[in-house]
Amino acid sequence: MEPVRNRRIRVTFNADTHASIQWNFRPQQSEIYVVPGETALAFYKAKNPTDKPIIGISTYNVVPFEAGQYFNKIQCFCFEEQRLNPQEEVDMPVFFYIDPEFAEDPKMAKVDLITLSYTFFEAKEGQKLPLPGYQ
Amino acid sequence: MSTAMNFSTKSFTPRPPDKGAFPLDHFGECSAFKERFMECLHHSGYESAACRQSAMAYLECRMDRQLMANEPLEKLGFKDLINEKSEEKPEKL
Repeated sequence: MEPVRNRRIRVTFNADTHASIQWNFRPQQSEIYVVPGETALAFYKAKNPTDKPIIGISTYNVVPFEAGQYFNKIQCFCFEEQRLNPQEEVDMPVFFYIDPEFAEDPKMAKVDLITLSYTFFEAKEGQKLPLPGYQ
Repeated sequence: MSTAMNFSTKSFTPRPPDKGAFPLDHFGECSAFKERFMECLHHSGYESAACRQSAMAYLECRMDRQLMANEPLEKLGFKDLINEKSEEKPEKL
């Protein structure tokens, strides 16, 4: 995989928490400039300000959604339960790349901004993780 | 959370990450590497390309501490940085 240097893309980061979870959750950078074909690292941070352990689970969304198919997460913190002890604060990395084929898709020709949003929910027994768009 | 009433368009389906989730760094073992990376980002105007050495160092830290499955750095997109390293004079251990 080779970087496509003539397609600089601004990736911005959102962090949301569902009303059910009391974590403080935020991105550690508001944006990062990447090119397709080159791996990139970014961080979120989460804190449990309560006096009880809380287990969270996250999902993510990519806007514009047509760009989502080109957004490849090599590793992140999503889809698996994450437990934070009382007062605990942790770094949450996202290691990703934008597929070089993004640069060859005519529908993506005007796209130079991609927004990545993560949302944390409290993981409770028997509760299914809601996927975006299916409420 | 948006409700996308896109009857005719494909809706976005989130996919799990290729290599799964990072274990949490509960003890902040790699926090210093993260700080170095974040400083690099701040100073470079948030250019990812300028901070790949620091990104690689952070991931190496995780791998050294079993906070990430071991993977050759070439496979994580750092092939050019590894080649550079081996062309330099051997570092003192």
